[in-house]
Amino acid sequence: MGKQIDLLQGTLDMLILKAVSLGPLHGYGVLLRIQQISGEQLEIQQGSLYPALYRLEHQGWIASEWGESDNNRKAKFYSLTAAGRRQLHAETEKWNRMASLIASILRTTSEQI
Amino acid sequence: MNFPARFRSWLKWITNGRRLEGEMETEVRFHIESRAADLVRKGLSQQEAMRQARIDFGGIESHKDAVRAAVGIRWWSELGSDLRHGWRLFYKNPAFSAVAVLTLALGVGANTAIFSIVNAVLLRSLPYPDPDRLVRVFFNEPGVGLRDVRFSKPELDDLQTRSGVFEDVTPIFEGSEDVTGAGQPERVEGVNGSFNYFSMLGVTPQVGRLFGPQDFVPGASTDAVISDGLWRREFGADPNIVGRTLRLDNDPFTIIGVLPRGFRHPGPTTSGDAEVFCPFGFSAAPFPPPMRGTRILVHGIGRLKPGLTLAQAQARLTAMAAQLRRDFPTDYPPQARWTIEIQPLQETLVGKVRPMLLVLLGAVILIVLIVSLNIANLLLARASGRQQEMAMRSALGASGGRLARQMLTESMLLSLIGGAAGIVTAAVTLGFILRFVPSNVPRLNEVRIDWVVLAFALLISILTGLVFGLAPALHSAKGALTSAIREGGRGSGYSTKTGRLRDVLIISELAFAVILMVGAGLLLRTLRDLLQENPGFNPTQVVTANIQLPNPNESEADPYLDIPRRATFDRELLRRMKAIPGVELAAITSALPTTNSNPNAVGGLAVEGFAIEDRPVESSQHLSAERIRISPDYFKVLQTPLLRGRSFTEGDEDGKPLVAIIDESTARKYWPTQDPLGRRVRFARDATKPWTTVVGVIKDIKSDGLDIDGVPHIYVSTYQDNSKRLSVVLRTSLPATQLEAQIRHEIQSIDPGLPVFGVSSMNDVLDRSLASRRFSADLVGGFAGLAVLLASIGIYGLLAYMVGQRSREIGIRMALGARRGDILRMFLRKGVALASVGIVAGVVFSASTASMMASLLYGVRPHDPPVFLIVPLLLLAVAALASYLPARRAMKVDPMFALREV
Repeated sequence: MGKQIDLLQGTLDMLILKAVSLGPLHGYGVLLRIQQISGEQLEIQQGSLYPALYRLEHQGWIASEWGESDNNRKAKFYSLTAAGRRQLHAETEKWNRMASLIASILRTTSEQI
Repeated sequence: MNFPARFRSWLKWITNGRRLEGEMETEVRFHIESRAADLVRKGLSQQEAMRQARIDFGGIESHKDAVRAAVGIRWWSELGSDLRHGWRLFYKNPAFSAVAVLTLALGVGANTAIFSIVNAVLLRSLPYPDPDRLVRVFFNEPGVGLRDVRFSKPELDDLQTRSGVFEDVTPIFEGSEDVTGAGQPERVEGVNGSFNYFSMLGVTPQVGRLFGPQDFVPGASTDAVISDGLWRREFGADPNIVGRTLRLDNDPFTIIGVLPRGFRHPGPTTSGDAEVFCPFGFSAAPFPPPMRGTRILVHGIGRLKPGLTLAQAQARLTAMAAQLRRDFPTDYPPQARWTIEIQPLQETLVGKVRPMLLVLLGAVILIVLIVSLNIANLLLARASGRQQEMAMRSALGASGGRLARQMLTESMLLSLIGGAAGIVTAAVTLGFILRFVPSNVPRLNEVRIDWVVLAFALLISILTGLVFGLAPALHSAKGALTSAIREGGRGSGYSTKTGRLRDVLIISELAFAVILMVGAGLLLRTLRDLLQENPGFNPTQVVTANIQLPNPNESEADPYLDIPRRATFDRELLRRMKAIPGVELAAITSALPTTNSNPNAVGGLAVEGFAIEDRPVESSQHLSAERIRISPDYFKVLQTPLLRGRSFTEGDEDGKPLVAIIDESTARKYWPTQDPLGRRVRFARDATKPWTTVVGVIKDIKSDGLDIDGVPHIYVSTYQDNSKRLSVVLRTSLPATQLEAQIRHEIQSIDPGLPVFGVSSMNDVLDRSLASRRFSADLVGGFAGLAVLLASIGIYGLLAYMVGQRSREIGIRMALGARRGDILRMFLRKGVALASVGIVAGVVFSASTASMMASLLYGVRPHDPPVFLIVPLLLLAVAALASYLPARRAMKVDPMFALREV
């Protein structure tokens, strides 16, 4: 495992939304999904996942439901709501704009000023 | 932001907290166990895997706490634990809690009670639909200094049709009527208005129907509507009341309906509530022909058309009055400047008592402030004792804000318990308190504790909780950790920071006490001055009684129709009164002194305009006086000295030249340089009436109230000019109670249908006229006393605490050579210095606001030097005493004992 990147402030919510947008997941599943799609590159403090999940549910962006896990245990599954889908879309837009802006700033050379 | 969703989620947590906490627990366990299972698959032992999974997860409790914060319920669960903590403290210190709750109950209770009166009298709208559109109509003649003069039927019609501002408008005759038929004739208050009286107010009956415009007759209708009270009292709530006959002042009336229980006539009835309502057409017998100059109507009340503001309506009425003055120059002499004015009805009903009620409200608010400052002091002392607890919590990671919130929660708990006790106190004692409220306060029957009052009580409780909770909260929030632990450890206590806060509390407490004392001082001095005021007559050994002659609409049925017939009654009345054993002298007056404080009352005196012979019309401006009809011995009964000329005699009767006696005020005002004797005056400036000659000058009598000066009076002979409302005054050494039966018997042997009321001594009459001033002076005085007591307890408590905390320091000082006198002076100086600052602040504040009380004062200036001198000195003395007691204890500290104590 190479050096992992610390999560940028405020991006955890967006990653969770993205993770559950691909299908309902329980809390541990969200962690696995994010690690999987990031190629094990992101370091997430496991416990801090829950305040974020509850916050998102509190805001009505994800909904929860009790169901059965793969190993036949009772687990709470999270899924994206319509409001959450809109939020994810908006966040993605914002993130992309921001990223390209930062990238273009960082590309700037002295001749361009 | 998604507020509904968040609120739903928050509510779910508040209501299902326990279940959701459990679910969170399950979820976390599932996470950790799934993680461990994965780690086992990677080759770790079961035990090692669980350990690793827990480490990876991090602090379970702090994550759970973060979840609670995320869904916005952390402060809620903290509130719960703060409340539990506060409650434990509450019952662990029963003495402290009892003192706090009792004083709060007193403060909040007094506020609730007074506010419930203010709310019913001043704030709540009149109990009619669209009360804002109801107005009182005044006809004024500013040119001659007259307000609220009578008006004529054509002028009433102008208001109704020509002005275009009123939906309905009616004159109101308020007066008493004799209800006869059963047992002792009863006297009830009645109201006569136009046929649109009820449609104007918007009332529906509980039985039968109410009269309306469709019932119109030009003269007096024989329909009557009665109040719920009269219906129950006289007719046993008979459901078949409609059609029954009621005799009022000898006239038969047919009852057509009963008003709902809560209905109240919106006006100053002569006394009590109106119970009989009969309509008049005002344009045929018994009324004179409707001529513009025949002004017989009083008390216009109207309902403005919807959508019209008061200012717009007033502008139209002013314009109409100007037009009328031009159209009818003979009816409206230009110098009188006749005009029409409207005022909100509610304002005219309650305007007079507003200053008194506001001063009382101010006083109770000051009391509750002082109460809460006192509790703040107690709490602060306790907070100092709890410094170690706070330091410990702070060391364990509680933030300053968190500690402050805990202190504030405890204070709020206390204030809400005290507030609840206060509301209960007010609810239980309200009926008792209302018995002491003077009856001239209108709408008292509407006083009750409703939601507005409860909201106010809650607000006051919360505010007091904030006031006394803020000081200890700030204190604990700022309490520096290390110093607190160190100070606590050393046990010396009185830190400078807390000390300064407590000093401020004591200073404010004293300042508030000064304000209350100054207010009370001014009111009490006013009352004392009024009690010592010379009324212009000798009220002792005078007994009075009132009679109302009936006023039937059928003139044939009226045995007291004209002046000669009434004069005959007067003579017979006097003959019988003088014959009562023990009565030395008897006289009649149309205006019993000091009972006529409401000049709007019909049948009482209103100021009348008059003319003086040989004076040009222009100079007759501002000529007005009260006309009082008296019998010859009136001044002898009252022992008021005649200054010049002669008194009336039995010969000053109908058909003889008209004569008048004026008082000094009239003489000084209208004949400042001339001799008034022999001058001639004419009432109502009616050129067809004969002149009246002034034959005597009498000393001023305070006829309109002890607090009303300089109203000019013109007395006329009751044999030449009399009215149906009259009072007898008897000089006798017997008490009123002993004479009452005989007076009643003698009067009813002249006419068994005559009710006699208000038999009492003249001293009682004077006393009653001051009831409202006495009420406010006593109440504010009582509050001021309470304030002084609380403030001195505050000073005493502070110094006693200081002495206790500093006993070691005192011991050291003494061991180093300080004398006992030095110690005494040290503490005494502290107490007196604090008191002085507070007193000066209070005096400055009082001086700048006292003029707001001016309308409640009489004979005392708002900046009355004695009050402003005595109050500070008195408070200083009290403060010195309150400081002396603990200071003396400091002096008695045994240095050896104090030093060994460490």
